[in-house]
Amino acid sequence: MDWSVIVEYKDLFIRGLFYTTVLTIGAVFTGLVIGLSLGLMRLSKKRLIYVPAKLYIDVFRGTPLLLQILFIHLALLPAVTKDLLGLNSPDAILSGFVALSLNAGAYIAEIFRGGIQSIEKGQTEAARSLGMSHSQAMRHIILPQAFKRMLPPLGNEFIALLKDSSLVSVIAVNDLIYAAQTTAKVTWERWAPYITAGVLYFILTYLLSRVVFWLEKRYSTEEER
Amino acid sequence: MTPMIQIEGLRKRFGQSEVLKGIDLHIREKEVISIIGPSGSGKSTLLRCMNLLEEVSEGKVIVDGNDLTDSRTDINHVRTEMGMVFQQFNLFPHKRVLDNITLAPIEVRKWEREAAEKKAYLLLDKVGLREKADSWPSQLSGGQMQRVAIARALAMDPKVMLFDEPTSALDPEMIGEVLAVMKELANEGMTMVVVTHEMGFAREVCDRVLFMDEGRIEEEGAPNELFSHPKRERTRSFLGKVL
Repeated sequence: MDWSVIVEYKDLFIRGLFYTTVLTIGAVFTGLVIGLSLGLMRLSKKRLIYVPAKLYIDVFRGTPLLLQILFIHLALLPAVTKDLLGLNSPDAILSGFVALSLNAGAYIAEIFRGGIQSIEKGQTEAARSLGMSHSQAMRHIILPQAFKRMLPPLGNEFIALLKDSSLVSVIAVNDLIYAAQTTAKVTWERWAPYITAGVLYFILTYLLSRVVFWLEKRYSTEEER
Repeated sequence: MTPMIQIEGLRKRFGQSEVLKGIDLHIREKEVISIIGPSGSGKSTLLRCMNLLEEVSEGKVIVDGNDLTDSRTDINHVRTEMGMVFQQFNLFPHKRVLDNITLAPIEVRKWEREAAEKKAYLLLDKVGLREKADSWPSQLSGGQMQRVAIARALAMDPKVMLFDEPTSALDPEMIGEVLAVMKELANEGMTMVVVTHEMGFAREVCDRVLFMDEGRIEEEGAPNELFSHPKRERTRSFLGKVL
């Protein structure tokens, strides 16, 4: 095992760490926005609103992420950038970001829906009986309580997303996997690059799980004890 | 004088089953009414139709001149004038007692926080819980929670208070403290509709008692009359079981 190749190619790994982190954080935030919107749409009583949301969720949960990444990078986004706008092919990093965000949005939507539905009906009724509108009741009463219950599944989703982001290496985004593969290919050293990437992924997921744990603790104050 | 609440030919269906089978009811300002009857008789549903927590299938519900069944009526506005107290209290567990009370005045009535809190403290005095202002709901007993819920509803200065079995989820020793607050409210001239199993309260405090059975108002009258000389057989048999 030759660990010197890691030092030699450290720039590749640093860049990989950077791309993996940025891609994941970006997809988490965009996914949260998409997920909240879809989750609320999914709960609507109007067919025109909840059917599209359900369709979206079913499609993104029912097909492989790898396929979504390839489809978005090779078919969907080029159709927009090249055919529609007359620009270059999309950046791999942009495609990766879009695919991960859209995919995460579908899973997060279901987490939001479950969280919102887990709040007792009496809470909405109490809020509405005080004259609050539907959106006021959501904002002040339902979502703050639901958010606390959603934190553990959201934490799981974020960790899964971090690991799934490795799939974007197939469209040549310079993420951690890409760094490991490239180093291995060039140096013929098979052990060190993959172990390094694995350790770095583990450190990232561990840090992420600590952040989620800290949030959980912070939001479960004296109330409900 | 037009009634505070006017209900005409009200029907409510849940799928196939009809829970309210044509209710006509006028409630005057300052009147205190209790609705009694066996479980499943539709009394809670009737109460919940009064502020449209249940959609009305047929008929009219008019509150203080606002026709709730008219889709142009701003239901949120009408609800600000009607306080509701629930069997399960439904306090907001993520907010302290004081914030439970001030939330709606601040968000809906757009009051300044300071004014809302001043009012909240007055109401907490009224229900005897000023020292609990900074507590979380989970730190209160059932009776205390229900008194906070009453204060929360009163913070909006409602014209009517609806009570949906307010003491049914309470331990026996806590029922008295909640009924005392309700009695005081009645004496101050609040218009009140109370779905209850507390026959003592109905008898002592209410102006009128409605006995409901199978989705209809079977009998109504002044408490003394209804409790002492029920006219209908069903009323007699119900009272025989609960008194």
